[in-house]
Amino acid sequence: MGTIAKIHEMLVGRQISCAELTQRYLDEISAANGELNAYVCVTGDEALAAAEAVDKKIAAGEEIGMLEGVPMSLKDNMSTKGILTTCCSKILTGYKPIYDATVWELLRDKGAVLLGKTNMDEFAMGSSCETSCYGGAANPVNTAHVAGGSSGGAASAVGGNLAAYSLGSDTGGSIRQPASFCGVVGLKPTYGAVSRYGLIAYASSLDQIGPVAKTVEDVSLVYDAICKPDKRDSTSKGGSETYSTLNNDIKGMKIGIAREYLDGVRDDVKEAVLAAAEVYKSLGAEIVYFDLPILKFALPVYYIIACAEASSNLGRYDGIRYGYKTAHYNGTHDMICRTRSEGFGGEVQRRILLGTYVLSAGYYDAYYKKAQNLRGTIIKAFNSAFESCDVILAPTVPMTAFEKGHAVSDPIETYLTDICTVPVNIAGLPGVSIPCGFNAKGMPIGMQLIGKSFGEAEILNAAYKYQQAAGENFKDTKWGVKL
Amino acid sequence: MSPELIKDDETMVTREDVENIALLSKLFVPEEELDGLTKSMQEIIDFADAINNAPAGDEGFDNINNLSNVFREDEVVPSFPVEEILKNAPEQAEDHFLVRSRE
Repeated sequence: MGTIAKIHEMLVGRQISCAELTQRYLDEISAANGELNAYVCVTGDEALAAAEAVDKKIAAGEEIGMLEGVPMSLKDNMSTKGILTTCCSKILTGYKPIYDATVWELLRDKGAVLLGKTNMDEFAMGSSCETSCYGGAANPVNTAHVAGGSSGGAASAVGGNLAAYSLGSDTGGSIRQPASFCGVVGLKPTYGAVSRYGLIAYASSLDQIGPVAKTVEDVSLVYDAICKPDKRDSTSKGGSETYSTLNNDIKGMKIGIAREYLDGVRDDVKEAVLAAAEVYKSLGAEIVYFDLPILKFALPVYYIIACAEASSNLGRYDGIRYGYKTAHYNGTHDMICRTRSEGFGGEVQRRILLGTYVLSAGYYDAYYKKAQNLRGTIIKAFNSAFESCDVILAPTVPMTAFEKGHAVSDPIETYLTDICTVPVNIAGLPGVSIPCGFNAKGMPIGMQLIGKSFGEAEILNAAYKYQQAAGENFKDTKWGVKL
Repeated sequence: MSPELIKDDETMVTREDVENIALLSKLFVPEEELDGLTKSMQEIIDFADAINNAPAGDEGFDNINNLSNVFREDEVVPSFPVEEILKNAPEQAEDHFLVRSRE
């Protein structure tokens, strides 16, 4: 049974009050956060107030919804009115938004209990959570390893039982990669399925919000609650419901494997993904192999587009309207430059510089325009791949979680960890990462199911059937609230 | 040098490029960090240069999922009050953001 359903049953059956449950989560967060560093802000008072409102409803005999009273958390780049939202960057020191992100509005209206904001790479730029100005989040399976990134805090909180679920954001793999590293489930929805209003932008044509949770059922329930069209985000279209079709028979489903996705992948990861393909065969699905040679250009295309958009989006941090401002300066230009250089970390500055470079006169055609052109080619290649299969099976990351400090040393090598996740963002497709085993050292391995545009129901159906068949992959960690 | 090592599409990143880009980005790069940053930018640009080997496609790219422009009624709704907007400003005066010429 999923975590959300279990909590719902406990609350409705009056085995525990929502306030008691919330207090248990808060106690476990204060006990574990020193080591896991999953949370950068804990909202205890607000959480208990929300929990008491739910308890009143239950006491009055009113019916409560599935997500009502369920303790959860949000990544620190989602706007929460009156609650610190810093993108884990010094430049947003002390920033308290004056409005709520649409996703939080939707969940709060359904009675969600917000425990706090989770750690992330600064402005979601990174793959290990270590560019956070608060220091990285640890992997709950083995704290010598990173939780992954950029939504490292979300995956660490969920894997460490410090939230029933958490919302992350995924620009190039930032939900799926940490979910894979921490042995939990993470869904990156189709571009446009979930409103981005109130999500502090990194790369607007790639960013998408999605849930991280222990099981496919949990992820499905949360996705169904947040995939609503929103007037305030002109790229939001809304998605369709996924929960009722989770258990559909997948006999005859065509699962595609692109050979390129297995290139350069560590043997233990490749073996686990191919073993999952065998599980699918035993469930009556058909495995189809094909080639997607254009994928080898996905990573440079991603970095060019993401950095170009970031250089523009991050232009707004100037020390005038919010956040950090330098102490000493001479003139406005000097004030802005000093504020930005002191406020942004090294990786963010590197990406702003690269983005400005590829957009500047003389380089625009060779890099930005060419990358956009290739983006069209990649989308077309995925479309034709989906003529011969229903979903694509791939590794989420070519390796398992690396040890702390490893990612910071070499930027290019760190970029390579995103090789299996970025194509989905470039093409705007949905992708879900689910655990599919452990390596010899006991670190979780994740696999990814990629769907057609707005094909969330199909990939979650396939993910659920796999989870049912291979339940032993979901090993629990020693941390947090045990239900 | 073997012919495959000569790449005529190679882009060189110079110290001056980095200084110029930093100015455009409104970032302040200290003198002692310029060489290191130039080298790191060169590595990233070499990596990005891989796209020069990609087949020249003619697919234009407009947007994802063929989203079309969204229109809505032009309804007048209340704006945020000035004091709310100014809440996060490092400095403010008389309902405005305040920027001193020096500090």
